[in-house]
Amino acid sequence: MSALQEKLRRLQRQAGAAGVKPASAEMAAPMTGEPATDAAAQPAAAPLQSHNAARPGVQAELDRLRRLLDLRPASALPRQRDVLPLRGEAIAPGLYYVEHSVDDPGRNALLPPRWPEAEAVARERFLCFDTETTGLAGGSGTRAFMIGAADWYRGRLRVRQLYLTAMGGESAMLQHFVHWLAPDTVLVSYNGRSYDAPLLATRYRLARLANPLAGKSHVDLLHPVRRVYRGRWENCRLATIERQVLKIVREDDLPGSQAPAAWRAYLREGASTDLMRVLEHNRQDVVTLARLLEHMDQAATPSAWLGS
Amino acid sequence: MPTDLARLIADKLPVPPNPSRLLARLAERYADRITGQFSVPAREGRYAELPPDLHPDLRRALLARGIQRLYSHQAEAWASVQRGQHTVVVTPTASGKTLCYTLPVVQAAMQSRAKALYLFPTKALAQDQVSELLELNRAGNLGIRACTFDGDTPGDARQAVRLHGDIVVSNPDMLHQGMLPHHTKWAQFFENLRYVVIDEIHSYRGVFGSHLANVLRRLARICAFYGSSPVFILCSATIGNPREHAENLLGQPVHAITESGAPSGEKHVLLWNPPVVNHDLGLRASARSQVTRVARAAIRARLKTLVFAPSRLMVEVLTKYLKDVFDHDPRKPARIHAYRGGYLPTERRRTEQLMRAGSIDGLVSTSALELGVDIGALDVVLLQGYPGSIAATWQRFGRAGRRQQASIGVLVASSQPLDQYIVRHPEFFRAAPPEQARIAPDQPLILLDHIRCAAFELPFVDGDGFGPVQPEAYLQVLAESDVLHREGQRWEWIADAYPANAVNLRAVADGNFVVVDRSEGRQRIIAEVDYSSAALTLYEGAIHMVQSLPYQVEKLDWDGRKAYVTRTRADYYTDAIDYTKLKVLERFDGVRAGQGNAYLGEVHVVRRVAGYKKIRYYTHENIGYGPVTLPDQELHTTALWWQLPQEALDVAFASRQDALDGFLGAAAVLHTVASVRVMAEARDLMKSVGSGDASAFVERDPHGRGRWRAGEDAAAGDAERFTPTVYLYDNYPGGVGLSDPLFRVQAELLREAQQLIAACACRAGCPACVGPVLAADEDSSNTPKSQAARVLALLAQA
Repeated sequence: MSALQEKLRRLQRQAGAAGVKPASAEMAAPMTGEPATDAAAQPAAAPLQSHNAARPGVQAELDRLRRLLDLRPASALPRQRDVLPLRGEAIAPGLYYVEHSVDDPGRNALLPPRWPEAEAVARERFLCFDTETTGLAGGSGTRAFMIGAADWYRGRLRVRQLYLTAMGGESAMLQHFVHWLAPDTVLVSYNGRSYDAPLLATRYRLARLANPLAGKSHVDLLHPVRRVYRGRWENCRLATIERQVLKIVREDDLPGSQAPAAWRAYLREGASTDLMRVLEHNRQDVVTLARLLEHMDQAATPSAWLGS
Repeated sequence: MPTDLARLIADKLPVPPNPSRLLARLAERYADRITGQFSVPAREGRYAELPPDLHPDLRRALLARGIQRLYSHQAEAWASVQRGQHTVVVTPTASGKTLCYTLPVVQAAMQSRAKALYLFPTKALAQDQVSELLELNRAGNLGIRACTFDGDTPGDARQAVRLHGDIVVSNPDMLHQGMLPHHTKWAQFFENLRYVVIDEIHSYRGVFGSHLANVLRRLARICAFYGSSPVFILCSATIGNPREHAENLLGQPVHAITESGAPSGEKHVLLWNPPVVNHDLGLRASARSQVTRVARAAIRARLKTLVFAPSRLMVEVLTKYLKDVFDHDPRKPARIHAYRGGYLPTERRRTEQLMRAGSIDGLVSTSALELGVDIGALDVVLLQGYPGSIAATWQRFGRAGRRQQASIGVLVASSQPLDQYIVRHPEFFRAAPPEQARIAPDQPLILLDHIRCAAFELPFVDGDGFGPVQPEAYLQVLAESDVLHREGQRWEWIADAYPANAVNLRAVADGNFVVVDRSEGRQRIIAEVDYSSAALTLYEGAIHMVQSLPYQVEKLDWDGRKAYVTRTRADYYTDAIDYTKLKVLERFDGVRAGQGNAYLGEVHVVRRVAGYKKIRYYTHENIGYGPVTLPDQELHTTALWWQLPQEALDVAFASRQDALDGFLGAAAVLHTVASVRVMAEARDLMKSVGSGDASAFVERDPHGRGRWRAGEDAAAGDAERFTPTVYLYDNYPGGVGLSDPLFRVQAELLREAQQLIAACACRAGCPACVGPVLAADEDSSNTPKSQAARVLALLAQA
């Protein structure tokens, strides 16, 4: 295998497209449920010839590159059959918003693990959040395409979710998320200190927006959970903890690791079924976070945390 | 008695080592081997006052370190940088180039907390630099924070470097893989970035330089995003086109400072041709034997000696030979050390320290020491073989030299044609300007790699350039490969990947091989080998040497990039046998060349390591062969080639065999003159002889005669049309810009090749012109030399 083919294969592997032919240049963008005004959801890639009409040299260069890389001309993929209507409402071009809530009377204040003060924190101040991202590679090319958050609001546990249907919706999503945060908000996450928060910081920086997470209190439940449950079960992943500790059973859950592929499938082919499963997965994650926070409330069960 | 006592003491006192004495002795005893001798006179220093606008604390720090005035080039650099110009400083080794950039950088950091990024080609140089900065900082209590940032920087220290480092000292690879893809974490740093210092820019040529130019294009995009526009301060050893090279790297105008004000001692240069041992065949004694001889004499004369060997293998062989003479007592510290890439960093650091401390008498190295690694002053530098360029030769000679005392540089020619050309034309070597450094930043594959990385860092928007390049076609290809997603005017990254990790700035294919020692049940990594040389050095059965200890490769895990070795006591070393086959994919251009044609185009090259020879130490007799089965190395590149039609050959040659021999000879000569012409290092430009339709290629049989070897897809040439072809090709995927300029001067190449053959003193042909010939050819009227001349004449005639 030549170095060039090797390179190309690597490109495709990176794109998560092993065994998948390159998407057609003619492929249209996702159509389902898109508001007509959605300017950001232009066709994924305009037909080449028309795009390059202004610069005839580009076609020759492209041909040479294709030959060098041994790229076959792109062939059309059949349009995906698995098209579910998108949930929620379009609140900006390329951005959807979903909200659920359930009645949830309960303790009025919680004392999270490792909280620096003795005083319990009013329940309404917590925001349990989680992002779904385009990959785990990190760096400035990885983005969040979905942000979900659960909080207690007027006696109910409320879940709000934002997700992108086009890349162009990102700035609106980041700006919208700012409104979910109050000056005294306490963030709650699972590994969010080292993953979600830095990733969002990067996205805000790239969008030239102030990072609303900066300086906020942040309770990352991963570390106290590890302290308590390490070695008890096969691992300390949220799914494991939720099953073993909270006895929550999910049905038809799409593993988080498949979220990037689901998002790309939607962008390229309009396949929304898995994207909707990601939405459900993310919703359950933030609900679990809220339950886990309650479970680990030190004010209620101080003995469990002694010595930790 | 006092006089006797004085004599006794005087006898015991060592005679001060004196290079001039060695020089006189060599010149007397080996007059017939020394083809050229000349000296570069000592030079007085030229000085300037410390600049008046220097920060008082910085001035105090300099005075505390004993620096009361600057060399003229340092003062010039200060003035140029203060004017805000990109500046390149070109000076020889040990001329104080560091201060050229340290002064403006430290001043800016003190005055306005401005940040600076230093890039060195190696981690070792970066560490040297930081310790120097720390000393200056301490001397003046300047409060400057200088830190290295490289693969060895621990995770918890990185945050501190990003936020608080005033001067971050790193390398291009780290900028490419660690900083640019994470630029948001470095936001403060990039916002305040005032200076970028790139040292040793002469080492960024060819593929590496082309990569660097693209990394700098990416840096420019990031700086633009954060609103900064840093001034670049570049340094280079002597090359022919420092300003042009700097401008090619930056893509912007650069002011060049080329006059060094530093003093230097006298330097003697000897060009040395090993004696002819077989007059009939023009065979000479090996360069290795001559280098060993001179090195022994120099070390015996207690002169600190550095030997540059052409390969890692030869480093080991020479080290062993010198150790056999000087290190036979294992209780004493070793006087001879080896130094090369592939040794672990700690081991190299230790050798550098020992060398600086003067406790090593002889050091054998590859080109790894060509760069500014500080190893202290040396008396003698020996080069086994011509390093491939005038500039590299002087850089290596520049390693020798003390201010007060003469130093010696000896270039010992190998039997390679290029070497022979140099030592037989001492006037050429003496007068030749140093080579020009060339890069090809728009090479398509390199561009594709970096546009991909750049798109990861910041999305491209229609109309965005990448340096001077319009990237549309590249973005389109990346979109077709599902790496980018085009939406509206923007090309957004969507792959789950970190592209910089897949791009190695220094090699064609990534993935170094590690050498694992399994002797006595251990599993210990003892060395690293880069991908390109793995096939030639790590095949199963190979003797792989580390610090002159032989290890035998027992198992090679090609995909896992591991070679398992055990200690052995073999009295031989191994040398790979490889061959090449080539196929034309497309012609870009063609012209008449005499009765034939010359073409430029794209070719597919397959290289295979077929086996290896076992060669016994000292006698160098061939004591056996072994087979090798390794994947073929394939290469898709650009080439130029010449061919003659069957009719012309049938008229000019008595037999096709003669014509083939002529083509092999012509290929050898054309390769030599072309290498000189483009200043290519020998491995960057390759040659091959094949049939015109690439159904077969020609190799030399054990008797030195050309022989067809059929390709896979066709029968051997005789039945087909007979169109032997000489190919010269770029040894890099996609080509690296050598073939194109060569094609444009192809007529001159043919003329120069004819001249080289005409001027060679041999009768029938020799390694210096058409390649080695057999004794039998000596007497025939149809010598390989005359056949090669005939091929060239057919191609050159108007």
